[in-house]
Amino acid sequence: MTGILIGGWVWFCVGVFVVGCLWKAFRYATAPVHLRWDLYPVAHEPRRDHGGSYLEEREWWTKPSRKDRLGELGVMAAEILLLKGVWEHNRRVWWGSLMFHWGLYLLTLTTVGLGLEVVGLARGWLVPMLAVTGTAGGAGTAVGALILLGMRAFDPLLRPYTSPADRANLLVLCAFGTLSAFVAAWTPGMETVARRLADPLRFRGSAMDPLWAAQMAVGGLFLLYFPATRMVHFFAKYFTYHKVRWDDEPVAGNPRLAARLSAALDFGVDWSASHVQTGRTWAEVATELPEATKGGGND
Amino acid sequence: MTDVSIRTREELAEFLERYEGVDVSALLPLPHPYEDWADEPIPLLSESQAERIAPGPDGVAAAQIPLPKTEEERERLVAGFLEGLRKLLTKENNWTFLQPLLLSLENCVKCQSCAEACPIYTGSGRVEYYRPTFRSEVLRKIVNRYLKPAGGLFPKFRGLDIDLDWETVIALAESSYRCTLCRRCAQACPVGLDNGLISREIRKLFSQELGIAMPELHEKGTVKQLTVGSSTGLNPAGLADIMEFAEEDIQEKTGLDITMPFDVEGADYLVMHNAGEFLSWPENLQAFAIILEAAGIKWTLSSELVGYDSVNYGLFYDDVQYSRIALKHYEVAKKLGVKAMLVGECGHAHKALMPIADRLIPDELRVRTESCLVLLEDLVVNEKLLLDPSRNDFPVTLHDPCNITRSMGIVQPQRNILRKIAPRFREMEPHGVYNYCCGGGSGFAICSSLNFPDWRSRVSGRLKFRQILEAFADCIDADTKKYVCAPCSNCKGQMRDLINYYQAWNRCGILYGGLVELIVNAMVDVREGFIDWEMH
Repeated sequence: MTGILIGGWVWFCVGVFVVGCLWKAFRYATAPVHLRWDLYPVAHEPRRDHGGSYLEEREWWTKPSRKDRLGELGVMAAEILLLKGVWEHNRRVWWGSLMFHWGLYLLTLTTVGLGLEVVGLARGWLVPMLAVTGTAGGAGTAVGALILLGMRAFDPLLRPYTSPADRANLLVLCAFGTLSAFVAAWTPGMETVARRLADPLRFRGSAMDPLWAAQMAVGGLFLLYFPATRMVHFFAKYFTYHKVRWDDEPVAGNPRLAARLSAALDFGVDWSASHVQTGRTWAEVATELPEATKGGGND
Repeated sequence: MTDVSIRTREELAEFLERYEGVDVSALLPLPHPYEDWADEPIPLLSESQAERIAPGPDGVAAAQIPLPKTEEERERLVAGFLEGLRKLLTKENNWTFLQPLLLSLENCVKCQSCAEACPIYTGSGRVEYYRPTFRSEVLRKIVNRYLKPAGGLFPKFRGLDIDLDWETVIALAESSYRCTLCRRCAQACPVGLDNGLISREIRKLFSQELGIAMPELHEKGTVKQLTVGSSTGLNPAGLADIMEFAEEDIQEKTGLDITMPFDVEGADYLVMHNAGEFLSWPENLQAFAIILEAAGIKWTLSSELVGYDSVNYGLFYDDVQYSRIALKHYEVAKKLGVKAMLVGECGHAHKALMPIADRLIPDELRVRTESCLVLLEDLVVNEKLLLDPSRNDFPVTLHDPCNITRSMGIVQPQRNILRKIAPRFREMEPHGVYNYCCGGGSGFAICSSLNFPDWRSRVSGRLKFRQILEAFADCIDADTKKYVCAPCSNCKGQMRDLINYYQAWNRCGILYGGLVELIVNAMVDVREGFIDWEMH
């Protein structure tokens, strides 16, 4: 019975996680194209080392567009794998944060590996490795979360900006990491781990070891609330970097972009200040000067 | 550090109540020869001013928000703010910046990596109200509490225990004018969020919904520009007088006969100057004229309303006003049929006319735009001008305007020029895209009302002034004349005020100016001594 309940809970949580993340990503992705707001250095710029852009060239519009995609991947790898930004700007937080993030990376890898084992796609060498990644991932998540929790409780810079929900989230992750580390370290053979985790998800097996049940229940809980939190930054960063900071695409030669911008100019405006003609389109508001503007002031 | 929590409404109220001004003794210390420098306190508003205007919790007033006196006025302010906030989050009203705003509002992990990157927060001695995340966090709490369907659910647990009242609204409005939009915090954000953008969007909400904005930006800025022709108040007749004077001045100073070209159709470049140069730094436009003529470039100025002033303060607070001015600029250029617009030494005009306008200008008005720094680099580095660098044999450092470097990636041209013409050029640290704002960005430098200039000199410009002193540490004596090259009108205004406030001309021999002045000062064809070593 426990197995069926846990299986149902985890599937429900996975469903909420997937739908919630997709909805948020869809919302970001379908937001109207915005005015440029690039910030240098831009990773795909060949002049990245000094933070330069194509605007450093005379008659830049006559030059072919050059983008260093390999360099961009390098910048992304340093950010994702080493948290380079945190290292450079907030080293106190870096140690705990790196451990925490790597813990989650390893747990994700372990989950994928276990999934491959369940469907029979895992190679011989992979399965023993999962005990290592699972244990290290669980421990990293737990210790990293504990360090961050401590900092959020005692650091005068972080404490005022930490809510009880933030602390609860770190506690959940600490518990999940600890339970995952135990499961991975003390179960003989990852084949057994894979099977024991898969059984409830296939609604098989009536009773579960409390440790296993707790690990899956807490993991599910984490997935359940995940999309409603700022942890969605794991995919939101794609938009913040590629669609804002590094978006240096000029309109010329990009008819698709021009069409999207043209459509935006037809949006109706209902701002209330007297210098804006409420009820008109952006194009009209921008081209027709209302009488109120001539008066000026804090209207 | 002022340890102020903003978690609860009570704590915020207490903060607003007991906060009476900036503690000048806690400001960032300055190096030699300012070890004994003692700042005067920032004056609070006079009694009569305080009866009319609501300042921020630091006692400073930038937006000059009329003090709501009756309960009805207060309720109207709060309701209007919430309505504006709702509009700010709709694609129809805010397609221009909705995506970056949503991303910045919803993904902050509150790691505070941005705090130490902010020159105002660190320059102030780490006043909580100036922390980059302070205003963002207050806005975030209000959005999540008042505009989200489940906002009232477990507010304390979710950190949304903030009650919205008129004082909070005013504190938030004023706080958006304690950020120069320099975006250094955004560079430091590992998630890629932008507290500078949030500040700008708060300003926009107040302007476009409630008609509240810093008067120097709105009524004396964009409104004046759209109606009179320039935010300086300069009309076409005044412009003609100034240009006549400039021609005479060039003749007198350099011996060159130059006629300022106006409305030349089909010119290579329509040169877009910040009209502030015409009135405050005429040597800058004169230097441009000398260089362009010497290089044999076919150039022109415009005499049309708005066309002779590259300023676009809408960039700092209002998308509607920004769009109107940007369209006018492009209309003027298109009508003249010039090959390109050349943006003069003005940082925000660079950003307003180039990357931002790029996505706003309809195809039929599209005109190419180029930075003056790129053209000047070509002329200097490729020796299209005859130059004698020994004429600039004095210490020079370079201030990087944020809009040109951090927001546009134009970094090397100005350095390549200085390496060629200024043998004693030295960098500030940090520099380039990692520079510190001058402290006058986003319209601060033009705000001369009430106690804001006092705050600007002491707080927002503190770190930049320290950088300048450090750059000249090896020659800080007053007898060695030194030059801060600031290729931006707004930054020059701030440099002037910093040098005056800290008496840096008398104490250290530090002067400021643009880049073209240095180039002309080194031009062999021009009589020696173009740079006038006098503080004004």
